[in-house]
Amino acid sequence: MKYLLVVALFLGAVALAQGPDANTLVIAQSRSTSTLDPAAISDAATFNITRGLVFASLVEIDADGKVTPSLAESYSVSETGTEVSFKLHEGLQCHDGEPLTAEDVVYSIKRAADPANAFTGNIVNFVFPNIGYVDARVDSELELTVVMSRYNPAAVAFMADILVHCKDAYEKMSLDQAANNPIGSGPYRVVEYVRGDRVVLEKVADYPLERGQGGWQRLVWRTIPEASTQAAELIAGNVDIVAGVVSDHVAAINNSGTATVKPVMGTRRISIWFSFNEKMAQSSPGAAAIQSVEVRRAIQYAIDVPSICANLLGVECERMTTLVNPPNDNPNLKPYPYDPELAEKMLDEAGYPRGADGVRFTLSLQSPNGLFANDVNLALTVAQYLEDVGIPTAVEVMETASVFTPLLQSHEAGPLFINSIGGGTWSPIRDMGLYASYKANNNYNDWNNPEWFDLYEKMLAERDPEARQAIVNDMLVIFYNDPPWILLYFLPSFYGVSDRIDWTPRRDDRIDPFTVHLVVN
Amino acid sequence: MFKSLLRAKWPLFAFVVLIVVSVTALIGPRVAPKDPNRQNIVTRLQPPMQPDRTGKVTAYLGTDGLGRDVLSRLLYGARVSVIVGFSAVFIGGLIGTSLGVTAGYFGGRLDSIIMRLADIQLAFPFILLAIMFLVVLKPGIWNLILILGVGQWVTYARIARAQTISQREKEYVEAAKALGARTLAVVFRTVLPNILAPLIVIASFNVSSVILSEASLSFLGLGVPPTVPTWGGMLAESRDQLLAGRWWLAVFPGVAIALTVLSFNLIGDWLRDFLDPRLRGIQ
Repeated sequence: MKYLLVVALFLGAVALAQGPDANTLVIAQSRSTSTLDPAAISDAATFNITRGLVFASLVEIDADGKVTPSLAESYSVSETGTEVSFKLHEGLQCHDGEPLTAEDVVYSIKRAADPANAFTGNIVNFVFPNIGYVDARVDSELELTVVMSRYNPAAVAFMADILVHCKDAYEKMSLDQAANNPIGSGPYRVVEYVRGDRVVLEKVADYPLERGQGGWQRLVWRTIPEASTQAAELIAGNVDIVAGVVSDHVAAINNSGTATVKPVMGTRRISIWFSFNEKMAQSSPGAAAIQSVEVRRAIQYAIDVPSICANLLGVECERMTTLVNPPNDNPNLKPYPYDPELAEKMLDEAGYPRGADGVRFTLSLQSPNGLFANDVNLALTVAQYLEDVGIPTAVEVMETASVFTPLLQSHEAGPLFINSIGGGTWSPIRDMGLYASYKANNNYNDWNNPEWFDLYEKMLAERDPEARQAIVNDMLVIFYNDPPWILLYFLPSFYGVSDRIDWTPRRDDRIDPFTVHLVVN
Repeated sequence: MFKSLLRAKWPLFAFVVLIVVSVTALIGPRVAPKDPNRQNIVTRLQPPMQPDRTGKVTAYLGTDGLGRDVLSRLLYGARVSVIVGFSAVFIGGLIGTSLGVTAGYFGGRLDSIIMRLADIQLAFPFILLAIMFLVVLKPGIWNLILILGVGQWVTYARIARAQTISQREKEYVEAAKALGARTLAVVFRTVLPNILAPLIVIASFNVSSVILSEASLSFLGLGVPPTVPTWGGMLAESRDQLLAGRWWLAVFPGVAIALTVLSFNLIGDWLRDFLDPRLRGIQ
């Protein structure tokens, strides 16, 4: 009996170690999913699980940054540029069988905009301020129009983040129910959701759109916060894709014989933000000092970004010059070089000489834990560089979801805080949209440069692409000279990819399972 | 006492280890070859005894993921472990013994209240309780000591109470009372010295469990800030490097914790035997 038990346990262990079957794709991300409410989603990890899978959008953005129709078969922009009209495909429906019409799309938009719901998702914080959302109306059963306060050349692309859901289903649900029991409109339905652990999706039979054709029968999105566990699961064959492999694991994965690391030059912007929050600025001498543009510029010279990339991340990288990803950036701007002596001289001239103890002023730097690969180590490294020029900096490590993110969203993080913001290459406006206005929710550090915000409106109004890029370049010079961030780098991403699949990662954080294929031996 | 210690091999070994750890905690920061927080990402993850560009070995136990000297962090970490271990046990022992003696000597409703409080605290898993308090109070060395100390009082209270109940009816206590000694004097001068032996034994075991708890909480990121080197924190930081074969980051703090905890346990065993006349001399 005892031996039988041992054999059964062994067989059980072998069965567990066999990994996913040929119809199942398992993807691991470090960040936990806190909500599946389509209007409340704000992080890239949850967008990966939901956008284009559980919830379809009016349009999609492909890997090259091109806008392609999805639920909408066509769209048109009005002469004034303040109205975008969409025509939906026929025969669409939500996962509960409810027909999906223009009324549902308008409901999806208005539900997100309703102040009573107090959503803080990407749609409210990023899409609406950028497109200048005013209203949405139903024109016919399959036609709708989104009304905006101003022309924005990238408006339709921004609308790819509007996750469409059905009115009848969501009207019946409380916000809490909507966060946990999504009823989607995309090619996959949620069959299991264990917060902080996994989301399991299953293919919807007879999905009418082209995007729903082919693909995996079952998708398992696992939350694995720890980098070493992610790598171990990949090597053991229990996971097919790991997002955010740390450079220290690259050799172990490549030598495993079961998986390979695929690096990609990401578009995510890693930087340290200075807080301009009025209360924060009065909270300490250090917080007051960084209000000075001379101090902020001096600090740029104190940080050796290429060395951080080469040693901490294990890749060569060029320091970012502004918030905009190449090739939309200003090519005339050169990255701030590492020159600690110049930094010290500039700090002296700014009126902050070293005291008898060698200290100019002190700062604290808040860092999330596990928001992106090596975040805490990056904070500690930057703190060391600052200390070297006479600015001892205490690092406060914070739990990401429950402590850091709420602080960020209430604009109370600081005086320094690490931030990781997704980016794109399809338009400079995508990246500049963070600072659409002084009051924008995503202006987490309350940066207020009137010249920037004036030019922002002019830039949006400009119809000629070349003239618009000229304004963008001028704005980026402002950003460079009055830096609201310690400019660091665009995050190089390492994806761990199992040898049983064929997949090329995209630059923009997005993992699209429709582009992942099983290798046929 | 020392003769007995010298005769026993393992307790002697433990005693030597604890002296080394205590001396390290005391003078470690002075003898540490480098600033434990000084980073140099260019020389990160160097294995032990690796010569630098000039051919000299400067990082005897290697460097960590940020190029900090592992030996220096280990020496500084001893201070945190020892301070936390002794302080928390002192706080727990003081609170627990006072409440236990009070409950045992006076009995009645006071006894019931103190013991029900102890039962309530025992109903919560300690680590869960510590995590809850540290999230509210924010991690830091003094909060850690306070929580670990408060978490230990029940053990002392129960033993002190049981011992006091067994002692309070004895003739020497009656004699003290008959001679007109005040209640406080009877409790602290007459009863307390006679119940200390088992409490000292428990305390020696307890130091090791507190050091382990500190290591566990630091491992979870709830101990002390990342800039304060602790053995538990060092272990936590080593997780991401184990897969890459950087064994020295886990082995050295791991061995330090294991040796210290083992030594306190061995000393506890020996003290128990030594302080109990029935077991004294039995090999």
